Amino acid sequence: MAELMLREAILQTLFAEMERDENVVVLGEDIVGGMGTEGGPEAIGGIWGTSTGLYDKFGGDRVIDTPISESAIIGAAGGLGLTGKRPVAEIMFADFLGVCMDQIWNQMAKFRYMFGGKTECPAVVRMIYGAGLNAAAQHSQAPHGILTSMPGLKIVMPSTPADAKGLLTTAIRDQDPVIFLEHKALYAEKGEVPEGEYTIPFGHARLAHAGEDVTIVAAGLMVKFATKAAQGLAEQGIGCDVIDLRTTSPLDEEAILDSVENTGRLVVVDESPPRCGLATDIVSLVTNKAYASLKAPPEMVTSPHTPVPFARELEKAYLPSPGKIADAVQRTLAWK
Amino acid sequence: MQISEDALKQAYRQMKTIRMFEERLHDEIMTGEIAGFTHLYAGQEAVAVGVCEHLDYNDTIASTHRGHGHCIAKGCDVRGMMLEIYGRADGICKGKGGSMHIADIEKGMLGANGIVGGGPPIVVGAALAAKLYGDGRLAVAFSGDGACNQGTTFEAMNLAVVTNAPAIFAFENNHYSEHTGVAYAVGSKDIASRAESFGMKAWRVDGCDFFKVYETMGEVVDHVRAGKGPAAVEFDTERFFGHFEGDPQNYRGEGEIARLREERDSIEIFREHAAKNKLVSKKDLDAIDKEVSDLIDKSVEESRAAAPPTAEDVLTDVYIDYI
Amino acid sequence: MKNIKAFTMPKWGIEMQEGTISEWVVKEGQSFKKGEIIALIETDKISNEVEAEFDGVLRKIVTPSGQTEPVGALLGVFGDTDVPDGEIETFAQSFEAADTGTAVGRNSDSAAPAPVETSVAEAPAPSAPAISDTSFDNLNISPKARELAIELQVDATQISGSGRNGRITYQDVHQASRPDAAVDLGGALPVPADDESIFASPLAKRLAAMNGIDLKGVTGAGARGRSRKEDVLALLPDAGARPQASLAENADNTPQIVEMDKIRKVIAKRLTEAKSTIPHFYIRSDFDVENLLEFRRIGNKVLSTKASLNDYLVKAVGRALVEHPDVNVQVHDDKIHYYPHANVGVAIAAKSGLITPVVKNVDLMDISDISRATTQLIKKANTGKLGFADLEGGTLTISNLGMMGVDQFDAIINPPQGSILAIGGISRVMTEMEDGSGEFRSKLSVAMSCDHRAIDGAAGAKFMATLKSMIEDPELFF
Repeated sequence: MAELMLREAILQTLFAEMERDENVVVLGEDIVGGMGTEGGPEAIGGIWGTSTGLYDKFGGDRVIDTPISESAIIGAAGGLGLTGKRPVAEIMFADFLGVCMDQIWNQMAKFRYMFGGKTECPAVVRMIYGAGLNAAAQHSQAPHGILTSMPGLKIVMPSTPADAKGLLTTAIRDQDPVIFLEHKALYAEKGEVPEGEYTIPFGHARLAHAGEDVTIVAAGLMVKFATKAAQGLAEQGIGCDVIDLRTTSPLDEEAILDSVENTGRLVVVDESPPRCGLATDIVSLVTNKAYASLKAPPEMVTSPHTPVPFARELEKAYLPSPGKIADAVQRTLAWK
Repeated sequence: MQISEDALKQAYRQMKTIRMFEERLHDEIMTGEIAGFTHLYAGQEAVAVGVCEHLDYNDTIASTHRGHGHCIAKGCDVRGMMLEIYGRADGICKGKGGSMHIADIEKGMLGANGIVGGGPPIVVGAALAAKLYGDGRLAVAFSGDGACNQGTTFEAMNLAVVTNAPAIFAFENNHYSEHTGVAYAVGSKDIASRAESFGMKAWRVDGCDFFKVYETMGEVVDHVRAGKGPAAVEFDTERFFGHFEGDPQNYRGEGEIARLREERDSIEIFREHAAKNKLVSKKDLDAIDKEVSDLIDKSVEESRAAAPPTAEDVLTDVYIDYI
Repeated sequence: MKNIKAFTMPKWGIEMQEGTISEWVVKEGQSFKKGEIIALIETDKISNEVEAEFDGVLRKIVTPSGQTEPVGALLGVFGDTDVPDGEIETFAQSFEAADTGTAVGRNSDSAAPAPVETSVAEAPAPSAPAISDTSFDNLNISPKARELAIELQVDATQISGSGRNGRITYQDVHQASRPDAAVDLGGALPVPADDESIFASPLAKRLAAMNGIDLKGVTGAGARGRSRKEDVLALLPDAGARPQASLAENADNTPQIVEMDKIRKVIAKRLTEAKSTIPHFYIRSDFDVENLLEFRRIGNKVLSTKASLNDYLVKAVGRALVEHPDVNVQVHDDKIHYYPHANVGVAIAAKSGLITPVVKNVDLMDISDISRATTQLIKKANTGKLGFADLEGGTLTISNLGMMGVDQFDAIINPPQGSILAIGGISRVMTEMEDGSGEFRSKLSVAMSCDHRAIDGAAGAKFMATLKSMIEDPELFF
């Protein structure tokens, strides 16, 4: 076991997989940094520190620093995937999904289906997402809701360094296109990471905290908040199951239903705005399949229906928090 | 340039197959039996065939919504294609793609694309993979004068140049992007100059003459296979039918289509050149005509009678492993 | 051209479903050359000429001009001049139009689906083999669903699960165990013609139309002045009365007759017996539980088990019973059984009905033991695992309806026990304290029912007094 930051776990995994399989190719903006400058290549090693040293070890043919051209980058990932390579493309900020949406939505996600099941595109698109660092409206969004709704994609949202390593390993080895969402506010999060290679299967949630009274469902950074809330509530004698989804597509439906069948109360936490998102998806699933178990209406703790604001106080008000989650739990317990 | 008689007959066969395939579809679509949108390639055969005759199955191509021609030229099964367009279970995409998404990865055909400009980025990826395979293979993106205005095409060209990827950007200028003329829609004087300004070598050629296309493409392919970087070619060509089937083509000039069929018919141009230079006999070409005609007839007959996919087929082939 | 060829309504574009021949340019019997115009056809979007694709003869016109036909329908028949009329006729008669429909067009599904068939089995008849712990071992079923199926004796193997890959959920078992719903359908209603100048919600417009109310010029209390249902109801001549009257007139109030299950029959028999044979008398008191609540709060922080208020009551009752042996009794016809230790029953509302298992020798247990014991019993009750030993030997049962919002009630004694304590809710009452000041104190309502054959009024009253003093000053009973 080693204690690593989440970003270090990602880097370690990329090294390991590129070493293991020569078909793994990494591409993205500034993943090397300094190309075509006097400071030379590797001047940065990726702005997030998740690709440092890859270029030196594996060379420019497999570690491709690109111009600012998201459509071309992601389209190239699609083409590389179709022709036998295993690309790992990076989108520096998930918000840039806007400029390459076609290559994900209409191309990569649909190749296999449109071509009658005769092609494989084992591409991974890593996107850095989430609010909390005052990066404001166009650099803080969480697009997992939109992406989960697209058939053909698998969506992964790790919440711990150990999970990041296992899930990224699985993602790179998976034959379907995978979107791998890394929360920028979790990059410095430390955790115990097992040595050696291991995979974590998709569609297999993690129970981050256990209790008999309320089920809290969360993913990514929200798992940290939910766990904090659950710990505080435990002191008041309230037990919470915190379910870390890990992957929103495929979804571990059984984990959610088993928990709600036991507790009868549901709180879903999601850092996106409330309309047509992950929270509404989970609530509708539970309401439809576990109505008979519910003792109170399900609660959602989400951001409001606004863009992400800039000022510290505003962003704080925007994001869910352990306090807001605890309040929601109390509301489900107060139902008469 | 030298091209053997057998190779010429093969090229003619391909062009004639494309022509008859498209013309027959034009008739059959009117009956209403074929669902959805179809975009016919008739008139542009010399480009698809002139390019693809230099390629093998390790080379890949990506096409546009007007993809039947490229598909046939790359060696895809005609019968399977017809079944696919008719939406049958035995189509090469199991009836799930249709005309606009027709593909066969084993032949290196990465798909027709319903998104204008969707192909070039994918081709850059295939070219990067080709570079890694290191055996001289390459990738070709077919685009029209419409796609040459899409941002994705520009991004792809630039990325290909900076990564020195073995990609060929083949622009078929048939003078119409959907219902708008190229004189209005393309701001620069031509398309090839755009590619040049991105830093790659570009060629220009008459796309209705197979021999000229074939000769030019010889140079282009050599350049790219030698690792000298990506290349672009602008073909001056014509499409005989509308943008889509059902398009009343009110934007055409008086008698324009008749004139094009008279003066710019790539099949006739081929025959004339072959006859004048005694390259292939008329008898042989006529025999090929008959064989192709029979093949198309048979494919249509078979497709009309074939079984459609079932409702259960909707759910399969989304993922490789389902959980 | 081939000998006989059909001329069908062409499909121009993905949206075209039908067209109309506006004019036949070529007449019946006339020949034409490739490129000539055969007919003019109109759709709702365009009007277009149909050009001949080959040379031929129009032998028969099937669809006259002015008639609308769907795409693919036979309009006319082309044929060489030497083809006999009979053959042309046969061709026309036997022509089958191809399927040219779309998922949303003419050939889509019909409107009314068949009524939903409940694919779940009914709960088995009592004579079916008992369902045990292992009955569903290899079934794809959730843990809670399995528990419920065993408890309710539902054959889960007959249930088609709604979870992923057919997994059976708690809800599936729950639904399978219930009788069919008696749905009172309201039926379809006419939609009034829409007038966009009236700014009202769709429901408000419908209500207004049904009741002949004109909403013109009415500004409602909804967002941006939109009229809502409430605004319309307020406008009705006898506001409120009329809609309700018609609802009452039209409602079908036929009862659904359900036979009592085994457990309920037993409960019914026993309670009838108890109420009719035992002479009940009642002693009621309000206990000040302010101190007990505080005591419990502290106790729970210190102890390993989370003891409920009821657990504390059990402990107090146990102590009081031992101090009053004349109340710690069972009554059997004309024999009284005096018990040295206290066996206190706790009333549990299990899913199958009220059940009263007994905590044995409560006077010898400390509060954590009692808490553990009651939790165990509740679990066993809910999973149908209580045995006879759990149910017998009690002298007094505690029945607590306080959490259901009940102020006070009187319970029926469980024979052969001597008495039963009915615990009601806690209310905040202004109380005069020793120093004359007034304070809001939490008061718990307690009502004891005693079997007067064995327990006299005085004995019961003394017991209640002891219990009250223990409850009100909790340190006394530790």
